[in-house]
Amino acid sequence: MSEQIISPDLNFVKEVIASGGESLKKCYQCSTCTVVCGMTPDKTPFPRKEMLYAQWGMKDKLVSNPDIWLCHQCSDCTAFCPRGAKPGEVLGAIRKMTIKKYSKPTALGSMVSEPKSAILLFAIPTIIFLIFVMIQGHFTEGVPRGEGGIISFSKFMPPIPYIDFLFIPLASLVVLSFVLGIKEYWSDMSKSCGKAKGGDINKSIIDTIVEILSHKRFKECNVTKDRKISHLLVFYSFIGLAITTSIAVFYLYFLKWESPYPQTNIIKIIGNISGIALLIGISMIVSNRIKNKDKAGMGSYFDWLFIVIVYGVGATGMFAQIFRLLDIAIIAYPMYFAHLVFIFALFAYAPFSKMAHMVYRTTAMVFAKHIGRDKIA
Amino acid sequence: MDKKYGLYICTGCSIGDSINVEKTATKSKNALKIPIVKSHFALCGKEGVELIKSDIATEGVNTIIVAACSPRIKFEEFNFPGCLVERVPLRELAIWIQEPKSEDSQLAADDYIRMGVMKAQKGFIPEPFLFETSKDILVIGGGIAGMSAALEIANAGYTAHLVERENELGGFMNKLYKKIPTTGQYKEPLIVDTEIDKTIKEVEENPNIKVYKSAKVEKTDGMPGSFDVTISSNGNSEVVKIGSIVLTAGWRPYDASKLEHLGYGKFKDVITNIELEEIAKKGNIVRPSDGKDARKVAFIQCAGQRDPNHLQYCSAMCCATSLKQAKYIRQNSNAVAMIFYKDIRTPGKLEYYYKEAQNDPGVMLTKGDVVGVTDAGNGNMFIELEDSLFGKKTKVEADLVVLATGVVPETALDPVLNLTYRQGAGLPDLELFNGFADSNFICFQYETRRTGIFAAGAVRQPMNGTEAQEDARGAALKAIQCVEHIVKGMAVHPRAWDLTYPDPMMTKCTACKRCTEECPFGAIDEDEKGTPFYKIGRCRRCGTCMGACPERIVSFKDFNVDMIGTMMKNVSVPSEEDEPRIIVLVCENDAYPAIDTVAQNHIKINPAVRFIQLRCLGSTNLVWVADAFSRGIDGLLLLGCKFGDNYQCHFAKGSELANYRLGKVQETLDRLMLEADRVQMFQVAIDEYSKLPAMIDEFVDRVKEIGPNPYRGF
Repeated sequence: MSEQIISPDLNFVKEVIASGGESLKKCYQCSTCTVVCGMTPDKTPFPRKEMLYAQWGMKDKLVSNPDIWLCHQCSDCTAFCPRGAKPGEVLGAIRKMTIKKYSKPTALGSMVSEPKSAILLFAIPTIIFLIFVMIQGHFTEGVPRGEGGIISFSKFMPPIPYIDFLFIPLASLVVLSFVLGIKEYWSDMSKSCGKAKGGDINKSIIDTIVEILSHKRFKECNVTKDRKISHLLVFYSFIGLAITTSIAVFYLYFLKWESPYPQTNIIKIIGNISGIALLIGISMIVSNRIKNKDKAGMGSYFDWLFIVIVYGVGATGMFAQIFRLLDIAIIAYPMYFAHLVFIFALFAYAPFSKMAHMVYRTTAMVFAKHIGRDKIA
Repeated sequence: MDKKYGLYICTGCSIGDSINVEKTATKSKNALKIPIVKSHFALCGKEGVELIKSDIATEGVNTIIVAACSPRIKFEEFNFPGCLVERVPLRELAIWIQEPKSEDSQLAADDYIRMGVMKAQKGFIPEPFLFETSKDILVIGGGIAGMSAALEIANAGYTAHLVERENELGGFMNKLYKKIPTTGQYKEPLIVDTEIDKTIKEVEENPNIKVYKSAKVEKTDGMPGSFDVTISSNGNSEVVKIGSIVLTAGWRPYDASKLEHLGYGKFKDVITNIELEEIAKKGNIVRPSDGKDARKVAFIQCAGQRDPNHLQYCSAMCCATSLKQAKYIRQNSNAVAMIFYKDIRTPGKLEYYYKEAQNDPGVMLTKGDVVGVTDAGNGNMFIELEDSLFGKKTKVEADLVVLATGVVPETALDPVLNLTYRQGAGLPDLELFNGFADSNFICFQYETRRTGIFAAGAVRQPMNGTEAQEDARGAALKAIQCVEHIVKGMAVHPRAWDLTYPDPMMTKCTACKRCTEECPFGAIDEDEKGTPFYKIGRCRRCGTCMGACPERIVSFKDFNVDMIGTMMKNVSVPSEEDEPRIIVLVCENDAYPAIDTVAQNHIKINPAVRFIQLRCLGSTNLVWVADAFSRGIDGLLLLGCKFGDNYQCHFAKGSELANYRLGKVQETLDRLMLEADRVQMFQVAIDEYSKLPAMIDEFVDRVKEIGPNPYRGF
């Protein structure tokens, strides 16, 4: 049995507490949490050991630990904790810190995770798009109408040069940040958990994708079991909206067909169904959180920022469409403007916001399956 | 005193419906020659009591046999000053545990009344043993417990003599930097001033407290009510007359030099929790080796405690102390306190203290076995952990290591009291309590195995300062109760009402010393010639000496060997061969109340048995075996308290001694050519009443198996 040397890091403890794990110190290591947890593997189960590591400031044991992502924060542990230590929230805080550590540049990570920067987050895209509006002279000359005199957002903010010239490089940076993050994270996990024993990586990836698509892990939750449907709705609506965006790219660049498209076109059908699903899903998430706040906790700023962004994207998108069709320009344009701001926030901050869980959780799940750590496979 | 007998039979509580009271009354009148026999449907009522009182006044009745209910109840109603009163528990033993209206019931009633009359014939009205007494109370040890006791005593109007070994009062509290808040509210700050100086001042200014500093109890002679205590102080020595003693001698920390595996003595920066207090009192928490601020401080809980090689017990106060000391460390916001424990034990409200202290991010805790403290090579040390929550073999670096050493009671190291008792200078059998001056008397806290000496605080059990203060109050009240009882010539406890005392016929004493050796309380000393003499104040009236004496010379006014023997001889023996008669000697403390409970539940007990109540099974004299069997009794059963390490005997050793003596009864039985199984002893706790009928059946069946006593009819 190998020996470990522990050197407690008081600052890390304080950081976990500041990141939403303020209940951390209440834990007295009774292990009720690991007993009630439906997600944990039987061997060296979580979240008790994570609670101990966090109390002792053992940063290396936590941020490079795939177990924190096997936790889906059902909050069964939090509901049953006899001391109110809320392990679910503490692990949530540690996940946030993991994201902050691996997503570069870290300065941006700090900005996203701190409530005091909230205004700045939205001010940046607002200024960018205001400049775009001013360059086009919309304030002085008015917004040109599309074919047949209808409101056309592609005339308000043409994809070329404005939108795509902004979002394509941005998306590339986001992808780069994620790739670097995953690489470092995988390497750290390998260091702390030992190299994988030659498992089939492709199989681990496929299993993980199947699991995510089916959301079967959510079934193991008790306290927040309603979450499965809401998360599923949001998840699939994102896929639907991604398909919508791809079709839009196809129409624009291959068919040279600019928006707006007729409501009966496939792109609008998929887009609208996804948009409605997104709004229903995110509303359910909000209502579930409020309903379960006593048992599971309200969640941190980090969670709520992401909820607000997703809500904003869905609501402004839907309203912009409705007012466009109603031909009420005075509301339709500002709504679309706001939609662009939220879209920017969703993409630009993805590596640092809770959006990043999509990437890091997937990575950790693949890793866990690869090293045979995952129980639900 | 010429005895004039009156027998009063109650017919209430279904007694009258179950037996023919008239027949019993007539029998008593004729066969037992009782001049006045009366019955009443509610003897305990006003009319019934008046009936007896008028006979006392007009007929001159002075020896009253009340055949009604258990002597454990209605003692105020049946209290007739100046008269000898004998209670026959007809209701419980002849009615409730028997089949109603049966021949067995009638026979039992007759037997118990006859035994009651015999007992009255052999008994006398007690006269108290009075002597010149002092009501002053000695308190040994001027720590928080001793000072609290002295203040309680003084405030109750008694004089306290407070003896302190050091040159100032305060004990360990003086050594502390801060204490845990004693308000019961545990919010920041979690460490507050001890304010011990206020208590010290209060004690020193109290006119009812005489303080002896740099003092020692050289010798404790005499007995409760009249102890002659020699106190030496600063070279002077004086003898003080003392009524009772509160022992608050406190504790010493376990000798850390025995904890070499934890690095004590090997590393300068491994210190004890007491040494940490001293450092904290001086200012910043610094390392003894280089005077640098300690930043990573490890606390090792159970440093010797709960360890078969060191102290086998939990010291009760060290967990909370380490949590408190962790807050000392945390006065430096960059420092961390790491606590390694077997279990955190913070009972009662202290659990909230634990919670509050733990909430500090810099107070880190883990369960684990500390197997050693080793050199980290950089001037720091490694705490080596096994079976910890960290999972595998773990080392934690620390720049200062605090050993939470345990409590060793002063009595484990020194007799303290320096008694002149024949049985020794200290309290006896303390090995049962790891040296603590405890007595395991479930119902009698603070009492030691020496009458009139009450222990409190950490010398009695491991405890913290707050608990010690509470303990001291209890012990002070017991000490006051003791002096007041002694003044009246009453036993102190547990027979707190008892005015009788052992009165040996010394002319027949052979100085065999069995009584002096067996007395659980060291009440009997010997003169230069080896002749025993009683120090009555020390006596608890259990009658162990009466049971021990081979010459049967020890007697009490209302309890003696001849009395019980005569009662046994007057138990009826059935004429049918297959109906055995068995006598059960019952301890009054646990077994007899258990039988009362059986009766109250109307559970039937084998009609073959007759119960005789004893003060303690320790008073069992082996001559009774011969008495019983020579009259044709088929079996003798003893029911007493549990004995052994967790004894429940109210007189500590009584039931154990009875059992020991029964081991020697074989000789008597052999002489009578009887089977050993006819005499047995069962242990019974007060709450085991439901098992009693089956236990008795088991014995009766065994006796039936053996067959009738061949002496029947002789």
